[in-house]
Amino acid sequence: MEGVERDEPQAADAEGSPMEWDEPANNRKSRDERVNLTTDVEKDDARKIVTGEAHYTADYSRRFPDLAHGTVVRSEVAHGFVTDIDASDAEAMDGVYAVVTPWDDVVPDTLYSSSGQSYPEPSPWDMRVLRRHVRFVGDPIAAVAAETSEIADRAARAIDVEYDEREAVFDVGAATEPDAPRLFADDEVENAQSGADYGRNLESHFEGEIGDVDAAFDRNDVRVHETEWETPYQSHCVPEPHTTIAYTDEDDRHTFITATQVPNHTRRQLAHVFDVPIRDVRVEKPRVGAGFGSKQEMAIEPIAFALHLAADRPVKLEMTRREEFYALRSRHPMDLTMRSAVTEDGTIVAMDLYARSNAGAYGTHGMTVASNVGTKALPLYPRVPNIRFEGDVVHTNLPMGAAMRGYGAPQGHFAVEAHVDEVARDLGVDPVEFKRRHAIRKGDLDDVSTILKDDDRFARRIRSCGLDECIERGMDAIGWDDVEQPDEEHLHRGVGMAMCAQGSGVAGKELGAAKLAMNEDGSFHLHVGGVDTGTGNDTMFTQIAAEVLGCRPADIVVTSSDTDITPFDYGSYASSTTYISGTAVKKAAEDAKERILYWGSKLLEEPEAHLETEDGEVYSEETGASVDLEEVGYEATYGHDEREQIMGDGHHSTDESPPPFGAQFVDVTVDEETGEFELDKLVYAADCGVAINPPLAEGQVEGGQHMSLEYATSGDLEFDDEGAPQTTGFRQYGMPRTTDHPPMETLLVETHEPTGPFGAKSIGELPTNGIPPALSNAIRDAVGVRLTSLPITPEDVKAAIERRGERT
Amino acid sequence: MHIDCTINGNERTFEVSKTDLLLDVLRRDGYTGAKRGCDTGACGMCAVQIDGEPAMSCVTPVVKVDGATIETIEGLGTQDDLHPVQQAFVDNSALQCGFCIPGMIMRSKALLEENPSPSEAEVREALSDNLCRCTGYKKIVEAVLDASERMADRGVAADGGRSSDRGDDCRCAGATGKTGPDSRGETRR
Repeated sequence: MEGVERDEPQAADAEGSPMEWDEPANNRKSRDERVNLTTDVEKDDARKIVTGEAHYTADYSRRFPDLAHGTVVRSEVAHGFVTDIDASDAEAMDGVYAVVTPWDDVVPDTLYSSSGQSYPEPSPWDMRVLRRHVRFVGDPIAAVAAETSEIADRAARAIDVEYDEREAVFDVGAATEPDAPRLFADDEVENAQSGADYGRNLESHFEGEIGDVDAAFDRNDVRVHETEWETPYQSHCVPEPHTTIAYTDEDDRHTFITATQVPNHTRRQLAHVFDVPIRDVRVEKPRVGAGFGSKQEMAIEPIAFALHLAADRPVKLEMTRREEFYALRSRHPMDLTMRSAVTEDGTIVAMDLYARSNAGAYGTHGMTVASNVGTKALPLYPRVPNIRFEGDVVHTNLPMGAAMRGYGAPQGHFAVEAHVDEVARDLGVDPVEFKRRHAIRKGDLDDVSTILKDDDRFARRIRSCGLDECIERGMDAIGWDDVEQPDEEHLHRGVGMAMCAQGSGVAGKELGAAKLAMNEDGSFHLHVGGVDTGTGNDTMFTQIAAEVLGCRPADIVVTSSDTDITPFDYGSYASSTTYISGTAVKKAAEDAKERILYWGSKLLEEPEAHLETEDGEVYSEETGASVDLEEVGYEATYGHDEREQIMGDGHHSTDESPPPFGAQFVDVTVDEETGEFELDKLVYAADCGVAINPPLAEGQVEGGQHMSLEYATSGDLEFDDEGAPQTTGFRQYGMPRTTDHPPMETLLVETHEPTGPFGAKSIGELPTNGIPPALSNAIRDAVGVRLTSLPITPEDVKAAIERRGERT
Repeated sequence: MHIDCTINGNERTFEVSKTDLLLDVLRRDGYTGAKRGCDTGACGMCAVQIDGEPAMSCVTPVVKVDGATIETIEGLGTQDDLHPVQQAFVDNSALQCGFCIPGMIMRSKALLEENPSPSEAEVREALSDNLCRCTGYKKIVEAVLDASERMADRGVAADGGRSSDRGDDCRCAGATGKTGPDSRGETRR
């Protein structure tokens, strides 16, 4: 190809990360050899959940007889300065323990970021615990602690707030104009991110390029395709609202029982905000009623702590559903432009993606989410020699976007996967064949994921890729080649497909650690910093450890995430838990196993090299002699000549982040007269490497599709002209119900990722990426119109059909 | 004021205020299985049964249950002796974070008592006021259909499977290989 600046990526011996991977011998097991992996191991908290005995943060209230209940007073204006707060009526009420305002000594004035990310956070420090400069309807201004939540609510309503109101801006385009109201003065932000220009309400600007994109678009043998895309707010709708209990215990430990995905980041940030040593803060994660990224945030803990200091008693702060919708966090709305240059023979020679993200009032996860728009979807096309990706992250006086399952990838996949489908249709070729021709394969060097980085240290060598098999099997399952049309003339049926990719952890920016201790009866305690938010990670950890130790998962007791007890972990986000924390668990188990074999050797009087563990015993591969793990435990603990508690340590950090791959299929029937459409079936084929627990992995795929379906068809937040939220409950928000779900089929396509624990990659976020583009593609297939804005509604489809009619 | 009601077979008297909602009273008294998801009756996470009917406890004034019979998730099976609906949720991996599950199970139980062999569409219709964010509903619907078959096969125990005393045969799983995964829960927080 002329004008190609970029090496063909698929050569396995090319420069950069090698294909060969020095994989430990015990990491690859055939299906027959797996004992505790990929079998149906019961989720370890399942029985507690179905009996109602599983305890979430709010359920711990009964431990604290003097517990105070907190309520937050929130801004009623979209932009302005709080000039006065009159809390005298509230403070005088019976049962009110404390009212805190930005002027109180217990409320620090420190700037911080609420994003639970690595340190220093790749997000600006632009937030204060309580705010005098308010930037959206919902900004926390004051808070109350009282004997009951009813009293706290009543007191909060009795607080008078005076504002010096300022002009607000809600449109991302208008926000960057020179005369736009400015959200942040220079001294209101520390740790600003690359490309920030607060004079233009720009939190970040970034760009990156591989090859020479302008030269490729200027070629006279290419056709340029351009499409604009728009995506809305999406709410996490976490089942368990954000909840924290803050108290100081008899050992002076500032303790937070809190629903979080990031206990260690929260501990560090609390220490920063309140200027106390990290060691004096304890963050305990009880069972968490899901996070989906919303709990990768220190969203409410500082307010709870300020109330605790003021009231001098334990404080519980539990968000209402209303607050969850308008005052906490959401998926960033974006508008995107996707261009590509394609030769007549159907070769894509250049792609150019621009994303503009509405960060809302604060910059938590703003730059990093926006950068993932390109670095997750564009790597699907490593054969395209020239690729550019550029983004702007803009502040408006609306609620803040933040981390949400998929983390920018759903927006990017919508633009890329629907655009490429349209290009194929313009060329008159089959979209699936067109995609497969350009798509990523095993052996490719994925440098697109490094497009925004200064060096290519993180260019990923693709060591496992089941994408083609996902497409093949998905096509069979959806009946791609045999789509029967309905009898009614106004109904048209179509099928659409979108390829998907994600990562497994953040390359070079993760740490997981685990400790394992053997009891004298041969059972184990596993302490791990990795957080189970309901996905089943604790169960998966026991399976990995049991597979190494030769015991049963039920013989291992997991304690997950209490910063006083469990080792450090960056937390549960970025699809990192199985890959990063799981590898740490595997290493801890291997470390303990060495000592088990040492003691087994003493008991059996055979060299360690002859010994192996299985079925709860140490046995000799030479003589067949064996000894129970229980005997090993007792001998190590109570032995005559020497004694030890058998322990293992494991920690894992890596520059690798292997992508899981998937293919989303949608079968849709569209009514040409009304624009109404019905999804007949969803199929998702996923390559997550080796699935440690297939039913749990399937659950991730099904739940991911649920969120993706909502994003494609029904989820959005609405605001009035003053920026006041109109979507404040489940009744307004379009969360799909049981009756809204089409039949779903999940296919797990097994590959082996040599860098992952027993060959595993991630699966949590991948399936959130597919339905918007696959549905847009299916509607295009059915009735020939292209939907470019989410959520896709019957009115949009009808309007598009009418526009199509006008053109012809 | 006082109200009297029967909760999970036990006669109880509560001191309440007129404006109290059933969910608050239940949770204050330790019945924390019912979860606070929305406070508007829109998500089903607080569902219990009142006189056999499914009800959203977060919008039910407690004065309305004076004299009523209430069943909560705590009144079904124990970890070692699950009610068939609970067992089906476990066996079908029909749960993730679990926050919606007590409400889902109470709603499912009410459905199966009224309609022992529902079609898939009937299950979906019955559960349509109960939101789940994690599972995509597929395994939940499968679990309810599975429970329906189990209950038809076995007949429902008169006590709903709640007779055995929770924790009796619950030991920390040791290396003896004698205890199953069923005995896990007690060792965790």
